[in-house]
Amino acid sequence: MSTADPVKIFVVDDDEAVRNSLAALLSAEGYDTQTFASAQAFLDNYVPSANCCLIADIRMPDMDGLELQEELNRRQFKLPIIMVTGHGDVPLAVRAMKAGAIDFLEKPYDEEVLLATLSRWAQAAHTSASQTAAAGEFQTRLETLTERERQVLQLLAAGKPNKVIAYELAISPRTVEIHRARVMEKMRAHSLAELVRMVVALGSST
Amino acid sequence: MSSQDLVAGSLSRADHEVLFHTVINTAVDGIIVIDEAGGMLLFNRAAEILFGYTPEEVLGRNISMLMPEPYRLHHNGYIQRYMATGEKRIIGIGREVTAQRKDGSTFPMYLSVGEDHVGGVRVFLGILHDLTDRTSRERDFQELQNELLHALRLTAMGQLTSALAHELNQPLTAVMNYLNAARRTLDGGGEQAIGRVREFMDKAVSQTQRAGQIIRRLRNFIEKRDSDRLPEDLNSCVEEAIALGLVGATDRDVKITTELADDLPPVVIDRIQLQQVMINLMRNAFEALENADVRQIVIRTQRPAPDFVQVSVADSGPGIPPEIMPNLFIPFSTTKSKGLGMGLTICKAIVEAHNGRIWVAARREGGAEFAFRLPVVEVTEA
Repeated sequence: MSTADPVKIFVVDDDEAVRNSLAALLSAEGYDTQTFASAQAFLDNYVPSANCCLIADIRMPDMDGLELQEELNRRQFKLPIIMVTGHGDVPLAVRAMKAGAIDFLEKPYDEEVLLATLSRWAQAAHTSASQTAAAGEFQTRLETLTERERQVLQLLAAGKPNKVIAYELAISPRTVEIHRARVMEKMRAHSLAELVRMVVALGSST
Repeated sequence: MSSQDLVAGSLSRADHEVLFHTVINTAVDGIIVIDEAGGMLLFNRAAEILFGYTPEEVLGRNISMLMPEPYRLHHNGYIQRYMATGEKRIIGIGREVTAQRKDGSTFPMYLSVGEDHVGGVRVFLGILHDLTDRTSRERDFQELQNELLHALRLTAMGQLTSALAHELNQPLTAVMNYLNAARRTLDGGGEQAIGRVREFMDKAVSQTQRAGQIIRRLRNFIEKRDSDRLPEDLNSCVEEAIALGLVGATDRDVKITTELADDLPPVVIDRIQLQQVMINLMRNAFEALENADVRQIVIRTQRPAPDFVQVSVADSGPGIPPEIMPNLFIPFSTTKSKGLGMGLTICKAIVEAHNGRIWVAARREGGAEFAFRLPVVEVTEA
């Protein structure tokens, strides 16, 4: 933990084992965590406060992660959300990012990526102006992309898998992979989630 | 000719003859008259078009020339039987039969036969209605329906594996979380660490068991589908799987060779499941060729011993590293960045549910060869 302030993390997942194991992992890392078995249970108990973060499963019965996010937005609770998705749920995750989620993780996720996202967020929480400042920087990076790389970026940010991108641009999946790697490198994105976040930031700044 | 002229009795005998010929030759259906020996006496214009013969080519010759084997051989027998017994099988009844054109091709038609005497000679008059259009439309529809059904069932299997992937993600995520939590707790040290780690380990184990149960449920699901097992032609299953599994492969410069044995007995299988296995092996082979210089897939069926048949899919890819070989059919072992490591596990479950065996071997010329064999079951004629 690199921050001095206490940080609280809420975990909302209908799967008991996933919920408890994530809490165990986060606790071992020193985070204060609280778990909820449903979106409704979380809404019933949540009291808005600073330095909190929510990790929610996107697929849940009754109210799913996206609906929970909508409800939080409707109540104007500015709670950072990390959305956890299953295999092949990227388009849903992109929707969540566009609605303001700070990141998404595909199950089974890499703990390093999760913890890195959390510590980045914890740091950024202290510099709230970072969001708008970053948009200018993203724009500079975007301008280094070729036309083709921009097309690939747009389709990636729409949550489309490589194969679909290959089909739509009439190029081979292998070529898409090469473009994708260059886009990630030039945009300095470590994950697809980060890339989507940049595109969302760019979209809201222009 | 005005309608007035058609009034009965107002036509001359010569006009009657013209009318008779007009009717016969403008009829849309074929009309053929034969004598009791089967010799053709009349062959109208529609029959010419239907069969491709001119009247000169057929008149006086036996009607059996318009039928395909085996009817051709038996037709005279049919007439004789009727003459002897008086038992009507087609006369006055009519039914669908198959006819043969001059070029040897056959077509379905509806044949109705009438009988009369002309000048003391017994004659049979046949009216032939071509059914080609209707039949081909019906067949097209049926084929389409079958294909659709087939595609739907394959999709259902696909959905099953996708649902399975989702379900397996849960315990898998939990196991990873618990193990990572255990490692971090150990790294942190402290008096209570050992106790905490033990607790996390126990929980990880029980989540592994949960994953195991999901796999077992899948096996049970596959084994329960016994009712869908029918005697099938293995080669046609393979060909269909190639059409579905390797669609577009030749556009990517992949050469697909099939060596299908022609002496294979039918195998009693769940066609959809086995095609799922074949498609899986074919896709793996196709993916293995992505960066290969020689891009070839060889699909072979054979009967290496009387009691089993074998299907193999060989590729000219880089082959499978020896250290991975033993783990190939174990759940979650994968070398694909996007893979779940479930494909071959499901293949193995399906093949074993059919009392078969699946394995992989390295090819001497490079690449991998996956093969499975299925027992030959004696099919008793129903």
